[in-house]
Amino acid sequence: MTMQTLVDGLVLGGLFSLSAVGFSLLFGVLGVVNLSHGAFVLIGGYAAYTLHEKLGLDPLLALPVIMLGMFCLGYAFQRSVIQWATKRASLLASMLLTYGFALMIRNALVLIYSPDFKSVTPAYAFDSLSFGEVTVGLTRVAALLVSIVLLAALAATLRYSNIGRTIRATAQQEQAAALCGVNIRHVFALTSGLSAAFAGAAGVAIGLVMPFSPPDETLWTVNAFVVVTLGGIGSPAGALVGGLILGVVNTMTAQLIGAAFPNAMMFLLLVLMLVVRPAGLLGNSFKGSR
Amino acid sequence: MKLDRRTVLKSMGAAVALPAIGRGAQAQATETIVIGGSVPLSGRAAETGLNVNNGYLAAQKFFNEQLNGVEIDGKRYKIDVRLFDDASDPARASTLIQRHLDDGVQFFLGSFGSNIVLPTAAIVERAGKPMMQTGGASDQIYTQGYKNIFCMFPRASRQLYNTIEYFKVLQPAPKSIMFAMANDAFSKTLAEGAIAFGKEKGLPINDIVTLPENITDASSLVNQIRSKKPDVLLATTHDQNSLLIARQLISSNVDVPLLYLSLGPQLKSFRDALGGYSEGLYFQQFWDERSPYKDAFFGSAQKFADYYRQHFKRDIAYHTASGAACIVAYVHAMKAANSLDPAKVRDKLATLDVESLYGRIKFTPEGDGDPVHLGSTVGQVLKGTAEVVFPEASRTAAPVFPAPKWAEKRRG
Amino acid sequence: MKLFVSGRSAWVSIAITLAGALLFALLPAFLSPYGVRVGQLFVLAAGLAVAWTVLGGFSGYWSFGNAAFVGTGAFVAALIELALPGWSPAGAFTVALLAAMLLNGLLALVIAWPILRLRGIYFAIAMLGVSQVCYELVSNIDALRGALGVNLLDIVPKDVRPERFYYWALLLAATAIILIAICVRHSKLGYGLLAIREDEDTARMLGVPTAPYKISAFVISAMLTAMMGVIYAHNLGYITANSVFRNEFNLNVIVYSLLGGMGTIIGPIVGAGVMTYVTQVLLGDLLDIHMFITGLLLAILVLAAPNGLYGIYDAYRLRLKRQKREAGR
Repeated sequence: MTMQTLVDGLVLGGLFSLSAVGFSLLFGVLGVVNLSHGAFVLIGGYAAYTLHEKLGLDPLLALPVIMLGMFCLGYAFQRSVIQWATKRASLLASMLLTYGFALMIRNALVLIYSPDFKSVTPAYAFDSLSFGEVTVGLTRVAALLVSIVLLAALAATLRYSNIGRTIRATAQQEQAAALCGVNIRHVFALTSGLSAAFAGAAGVAIGLVMPFSPPDETLWTVNAFVVVTLGGIGSPAGALVGGLILGVVNTMTAQLIGAAFPNAMMFLLLVLMLVVRPAGLLGNSFKGSR
Repeated sequence: MKLDRRTVLKSMGAAVALPAIGRGAQAQATETIVIGGSVPLSGRAAETGLNVNNGYLAAQKFFNEQLNGVEIDGKRYKIDVRLFDDASDPARASTLIQRHLDDGVQFFLGSFGSNIVLPTAAIVERAGKPMMQTGGASDQIYTQGYKNIFCMFPRASRQLYNTIEYFKVLQPAPKSIMFAMANDAFSKTLAEGAIAFGKEKGLPINDIVTLPENITDASSLVNQIRSKKPDVLLATTHDQNSLLIARQLISSNVDVPLLYLSLGPQLKSFRDALGGYSEGLYFQQFWDERSPYKDAFFGSAQKFADYYRQHFKRDIAYHTASGAACIVAYVHAMKAANSLDPAKVRDKLATLDVESLYGRIKFTPEGDGDPVHLGSTVGQVLKGTAEVVFPEASRTAAPVFPAPKWAEKRRG
Repeated sequence: MKLFVSGRSAWVSIAITLAGALLFALLPAFLSPYGVRVGQLFVLAAGLAVAWTVLGGFSGYWSFGNAAFVGTGAFVAALIELALPGWSPAGAFTVALLAAMLLNGLLALVIAWPILRLRGIYFAIAMLGVSQVCYELVSNIDALRGALGVNLLDIVPKDVRPERFYYWALLLAATAIILIAICVRHSKLGYGLLAIREDEDTARMLGVPTAPYKISAFVISAMLTAMMGVIYAHNLGYITANSVFRNEFNLNVIVYSLLGGMGTIIGPIVGAGVMTYVTQVLLGDLLDIHMFITGLLLAILVLAAPNGLYGIYDAYRLRLKRQKREAGR
């Protein structure tokens, strides 16, 4: 039974990780706390829903398309709105700006898709995999795999590719990077695009696993906060560790203390972590954590 | 939910013209009956809010267009339902209800959720105006001594009486029953009322699980079911959470002979999402369009449903019918009082006993629905359709118990 | 450094506040009950925003979790009233209000030491976490009744209309908050907080006792916020955790300050007035897009007037001064 709970937690944690990594990246590199992150996640979910309903496209196949679309959205969002706000006002004020966008996106989703919950249910949504005593839903395993693959790909990109190096350099020393000929605006926008793309991917994975509705955006923003604070800002590994821990804490609390208490435990952990080690488990000295 | 440029501009224009914030609320037009109220159209409760909203509007449309209004004391009136979005914010709802009162609105419709309904009910009660509502069933509303607040549902703690009676007659008799309740006022009182009544009836209620109000993961519940193997699981959860629970039970291959989700399977979108797996799921059913109810205005439950489908795109739900029934109840009471005096209408509402599209409308002295006439029946999904299986008097199909296992449905 | 009224003493500010409060106290005589209820929302918003300003505006420690104190205050008061059956409503209310303020002060004191070591965004996130923990605990522990909800005592005197009574009660509380904020602002504590906002490390180096100052401001802010929460809850009459631990309480206070002018006292009051009017009156009629427009307004606000209305006024005044100087030359 404990094994089952552990596996359930890890699977849930995979979702948390994927849903938080974009938030983490934006926070780490730009120092921008994006309160519309959860809304971006939902846009990904609704896109998957639309493609599945209208074109019969499997969510996993739709994933690259949605990520590309979200990338463009994120890029444009940074170049047009956020950049303007951070230049004219403070980083903290940009938080309010993104809150405003979260409200707008949520309202738009209600108008387009109605307030009803939606769910994406391909034929395999009800199948499961069993390993001995442990049974896990197939879509949940798929979501976990998607999240690990994508996080690994992101980590590799940041570590080894040119653009990754540029992003990291900009995060560490904006001015020095600019002096070396880095186009800071472009790098920021790329980061924002990546962040949105991963939010979209998380939305697809979430849509595959559970029903969703517009008010859920708050949930995914707040979850991202917790994951990032636990794992540390700005790194895919941090998001993965934070997410997995959170997932396991979630299911274990439900099992051992009571099904109603995972959220309370989660936020308690957040506050404790901030007090003990504000940079998070795998934190580094990126912008947001200074 | 129609939104075009004109409506936006019109409301903006009206708003800019400094709406009646000062004294001197405008006089009520003589030829309309204004019924005011709020519904939650954004936020968690928006789904039901929209169903209630459409019920109100369908009835308004029908009375005005098909019957050319209503005749009271020899005069014809059109019905004018004025609603706003309270966004599930109690302060916003109270403020805007006060605006209606100041504007001279005499009759009110209720919002959804007891933490919204109660503060607004207090204001309306104090002003001595009646409120018909179909979204606040928590017991707290009916223990305040209010005289003007009427609800189409029985209070939450009494709603599952028929369900408990059904568990009592199950063959073979269930050996263990598990309750799972979402942690909100309605779901909790609903479950606690059923648990108390069930224990009184000697049912083996062995496990009670409290779930958070919104869940992202039901695996702990699934695991408990896996280890305790109850014969019956009764979950008082809202639609989205119910679907998550069902999906996780299916994909974990954990069977319950009787899976009862209080809210969810009554919706077509819910049954569609589960496809064949929804077969045999139980739920709390308040209304079925095939019920043999006669209605003095719509004709029958079926005719109401037909009318609704002609004019609204959104699927019909029992909240749509109960919303429309609120207006029907008002019209009956106004006709009986032969007056538009809110106090007289209130008195007639209190003694109302009339068959309608929604069933026989009759309230308890505290204002909630009569638990026998307006109580819920036991619904079950059979061949993809929501059927009523208990009590026998209103059944549309024979119940299936135990329900087929997930594995059988997978093959079928 | 911005002052409440630049160049004049605290006494002028206090006098203006008292005169303004008196003026507002007379308003119900001219307003419809709906107008009075909008007034309630305004006074509530202004009180909460100024209470937030005592820490957030003066010291730059932006709390994103003041709903914790609104909600905890409301529930402490409700539960204490439940525990005092047979008391007169006025007596029970007084005890409940004082206890709620005291307990919230204590709560703030306990969490202040660890949490106020965090800076900037981390403090903001930690407070968001605190407010969520409080919400989850209140709604999930049955004895606290957050899920089922709890009724509060009816404290309205017989011959007073309830909307007026609560308008005055909230106004009284908000006035007290503003006066306290003015006193803080013009005391040693206030100058210390401003120094912390400008540069905390330098301030400490120069001998400003930063930790005790921040903690004092935090505790004051928490107690004042709780006071508003208690009155707000009584106005509703019945609350569940969802009615008082609202995200709006966390974020709107910041919006008001940003709109009016961060770090000033008049700023949040003006901001609260404008936002209340826009969201409740102008957008009250819009059935399904009021949230969209609110969001749009926020975005425009941040983009177009990052320093708020006060910033616009400030720039205008500077320009006038310069023109005058040039004209005099």
